Amino acid sequence: MGIFKDRKERRTGAPGEKCGSTRRDFLRTAATVSAGAAIGAPAVASALEFDFEAFLQKNFRELSDAELKDVLARLERKYSEKYGKPVSVGAIGPMDGVLFGYGLDISRCIGCRRCVYACVEENNLSRDPEIHWIRVLEFERSAALREINLEDGNPYYEYSEVPAADKFYLPVSCQHCEDSPCSTVCPTGATWREPDGIVVIDYDWCIGCRYCMASCPYGARHFNWGEPNLPAEQVNPNMHMLGNTPRKKGVVEKCTFCIQRVRNGRLPACHEACPVGARKFGNLLDPNSEIRYVMDRKRTFVLKAELATHPKFFYFWGTEGRD
Amino acid sequence: MAGDEHDPDGERPPRIQLTVWSVIALAVVAVAGLFTVRLEHQPETTRDYPPRPLIADGKLALLPGPEIDDEYLPCSDCHGDPERETGPVPRELEDEHDEMELAHGDLWCLHCHDSENPNRLRLADASLVAFEDSWQLCVQCHGKKLPEWRAGVHGKVTGSWRGDREYLTCVACHEPHSPATEPLEPMPRPRRPDEIALRAERSQEK
Repeated sequence: MGIFKDRKERRTGAPGEKCGSTRRDFLRTAATVSAGAAIGAPAVASALEFDFEAFLQKNFRELSDAELKDVLARLERKYSEKYGKPVSVGAIGPMDGVLFGYGLDISRCIGCRRCVYACVEENNLSRDPEIHWIRVLEFERSAALREINLEDGNPYYEYSEVPAADKFYLPVSCQHCEDSPCSTVCPTGATWREPDGIVVIDYDWCIGCRYCMASCPYGARHFNWGEPNLPAEQVNPNMHMLGNTPRKKGVVEKCTFCIQRVRNGRLPACHEACPVGARKFGNLLDPNSEIRYVMDRKRTFVLKAELATHPKFFYFWGTEGRD
Repeated sequence: MAGDEHDPDGERPPRIQLTVWSVIALAVVAVAGLFTVRLEHQPETTRDYPPRPLIADGKLALLPGPEIDDEYLPCSDCHGDPERETGPVPRELEDEHDEMELAHGDLWCLHCHDSENPNRLRLADASLVAFEDSWQLCVQCHGKKLPEWRAGVHGKVTGSWRGDREYLTCVACHEPHSPATEPLEPMPRPRRPDEIALRAERSQEK
């Protein structure tokens, strides 16, 4: 019924008027219409909502400082208008001497999914269609004695209380590979690895071909099959152009280590949300950082190490019995 | 050599001309190839970010555990009464503490609390510490956890990864009388792909 509504209205609209119209009326109408068409051309363009500025926008890496400033101002205007509240869109760059690394203690993770939803709120993820950047996979503990196949993990577990007996949990999001297959295959240069190790996406340059999704061994990239739905009151107004700016239909998105937070010295949202302190984050080049303590003293591993993607997301088993 | 065999003022031999032309042709092909590669847009320039110095590690704050209900404080209100003696032998807890679960090894109240100074905690060397400094008590037995907690690896850290940090102390997560961590209700699971398909069908029917 929905698609016919317009047509039906037109068909039922006031048939009597037409019968009574005169030649003068017709001419007057014609004149109004043509005048309207002449002055209304820009209005038509805006009605189509075709953003020429966005269409002609250069790749993030090729923008000059002045151009970047214009782009950020345009994005701020666009989102402030769309969500009816002041939005700031930044593009703060990486710091010298910083390489971000993430550590996750699978001996402590209880699979409560607090991180998943903290990420949804922080990064302006679409609520419906639902997109989660973190998938918490559940495995049998006995499976840990054999080789674990990532594809066997169950993200759909449901319990009244976690952790469930004889299970362990493995949250998986973007692994921020040093040799990232996603950026290698991207035909438009819309995704790349920044000097601080964060793999980012220029959403305005993504053409939605999903080559990166096919190449990602971790299933960490997510495609906007439908128009993302983000309630205005739930929008996080602190945005980074390469991070949590709201996406549009037809682009790929993924975890950015909360680029809008970590480049300002804060911790990622998932890290703050974790109730058991299983998540560790910091600068791999700083020997005094938490993550370096983990790297130096714990047996860490990366997912699918045999693929030589060299992830900067490390898993470890932190506890050594009850002591 | 080759030049001596021919008249230097005459035309170049056809073989050399051929070589020159093929070199030019190759160059043209190479340049065209470069342009083709450029179509696959891979920007060569990287944005010049203004370098910023690292901020040195900031202050460290210890967050005490959850506040104790005012109703129970100060402990000396009840335990100052000589009638209400704190026995050294484990027994069933009564009155205000009858709902307290004691599940911390074989520990009894006086391992940590001081019968003469009920508002303080008592270390093994008989020195007294405030309730806020209870972590000093915990590490007497759980010493292996101390370096890891200090490093921010055991337990939860909030704040900044490069500046001020706040550390939760032991009792924030471990109720000292029954320190095993409580299970939690998980947040909703993600939708299964088949459920998403159903939703799409439903919205089409509308």
